Amino acid sequence: MTSFLDRLFRGSVWLCGLVGLALPVWIVGFILAHGARALSWNLLVGRPSGFPLGSEGGILPAILGSLALVVLGLAVALPIGLGAGLYLAEFCTSPNVRAWSRAAVEVLAGVPSVLYGLFGYAFFVVFLRMGISLLAGGLVLGLVMLPFILISAQEAFTAVGAQYREATLSLGVDRAAWILGVLLPKARSRILAGLVLAVGHAMGSAAPVLFTASVFYSKGGLAFGQPVMTLPTHLYFLVSEGISLEHAFATALILVAGLFLFNSAAMLLRYYMREL
Amino acid sequence: MPALSLSPRDRLLKILGSFALALSLVALALMVVFLVKETGLLDGTFPGWSIFSLRTPWLPLATPPSFGFGHALVATLIVTGFSLALAVPLGIGIGIFAAELAPPWMGKVLQPALELLAGIPGVVYGFFGYVTFVRWFGDWFNLATGETLMTAGLVLACMILPFIASTSAEALKVVYRDYREAVLGLGVTQGCLFRRVVLKKAFPGLAAAVALGLARALGETLAVLMLAGKTAAMPGGLLSRGQPLTALLATELGETAAGSPKYRTLFSAACLLLLAVAGLNALILLLKRRLLEQLHD
Repeated sequence: MTSFLDRLFRGSVWLCGLVGLALPVWIVGFILAHGARALSWNLLVGRPSGFPLGSEGGILPAILGSLALVVLGLAVALPIGLGAGLYLAEFCTSPNVRAWSRAAVEVLAGVPSVLYGLFGYAFFVVFLRMGISLLAGGLVLGLVMLPFILISAQEAFTAVGAQYREATLSLGVDRAAWILGVLLPKARSRILAGLVLAVGHAMGSAAPVLFTASVFYSKGGLAFGQPVMTLPTHLYFLVSEGISLEHAFATALILVAGLFLFNSAAMLLRYYMREL
Repeated sequence: MPALSLSPRDRLLKILGSFALALSLVALALMVVFLVKETGLLDGTFPGWSIFSLRTPWLPLATPPSFGFGHALVATLIVTGFSLALAVPLGIGIGIFAAELAPPWMGKVLQPALELLAGIPGVVYGFFGYVTFVRWFGDWFNLATGETLMTAGLVLACMILPFIASTSAEALKVVYRDYREAVLGLGVTQGCLFRRVVLKKAFPGLAAAVALGLARALGETLAVLMLAGKTAAMPGGLLSRGQPLTALLATELGETAAGSPKYRTLFSAACLLLLAVAGLNALILLLKRRLLEQLHD
């Protein structure tokens, strides 16, 4: 009896494990296989055309729009997140400030991205009259990434051992020399890991940009005050308006493959800069 | 930290850093304040508490219009309930597998596989569900369309699975490390070790995993938007179409005049979601702290 129950337990746990291994293979394989069939060079470098619009041509404006949004968001979130993480790890002397800021940021890091989108719409688009634009969407994505960057920066700085700190400061140099010369180079690989997560999350999520930055079609020019196309919202429009499943497969593939390539590049970079 | 004297450029760095932290906290606070402000609760334009009632229908075009998002609340409950029912046992099972039973090479493959699953954007999951389950369910259950709450729940389960699995694996690994030898040395089976010892000791961690899964499921937008089938009718069950809360927000916001009663209603729904998810996140922080304390006893 006991051995039967034990076998049942082991068997179900193995089954769960196998499902856990098979599920990603199935989903990614499905998208790769169907997407590869629909992929073409023209799709990467062309603009949407055909009737209904988007059923032919390419998705270059969506690729550029997604990149521009994330770069703009990073330009805002990276310095602020790094600075705040540095302050918490290095200068903040009050345990209360540290604990409460950290808790506030962690609670907000888990807030669904659609709420960032709603806030962005109410604040940037309507209240500050930015309109549905690259600027508004980039700022929203910056806000989405900020908690991730802040948390990973603080943890990266804290993880650098106290012995380095003591050894460096005992040389009589100031904090800035320690931060710029030792702390940042030591922590950069971990910061990069957090950054990759934040960027991947921001690049793939459609909800924050759906009502702050994106339109179904733009000619491809990028301007702060103009709306843009993005990869995730383009995929959403293609499917929900029933425009072209073939293009949807290709867009999904480009989105997933892009994120994967970005992750791999960052991993390689991390490998090269893991030590001083 | 010893009170070393700061050089001028140290002070500059400190001021810049404190400014950055203040800016981050202000930005995040501004988000919460603005979401609440847009409900109209602060300036008396709040459309009334009846919008939360299950008996108020969503009829934005009727005269007078009626804005009740009870149908969305019920749809969200059905979808998240179904996805948790699938993903919690499976996720914890994967956690046990990764923590204890997996051969080392499988454990090593499993983690990046789960990370891959977690890294796929919601809109891609929505699309994937649209070309697989939506097609199949339409045929299997003889429906006009395979877009149902069950379809959305099924795909949602795939999406939250990696989070539940890796959070529970993390907790289980620590507990197994501390108790494996001592308990198995008594001659009991793996099943008994899990049920009698590991389950109890890892409980806060497993609860945190479930809370995390629930928080992700409540907030996921694109997949449920694409799969649940948009309708403002009250859902009757798993196989009916419905419009979960996040799908309601994403569908309606774009065509809503700022400041109108409908706009206020949407932001009230958003605040409810914010409250639920922020509460869950706070719970997760507490549970993780509890797990750490318990292990250090």
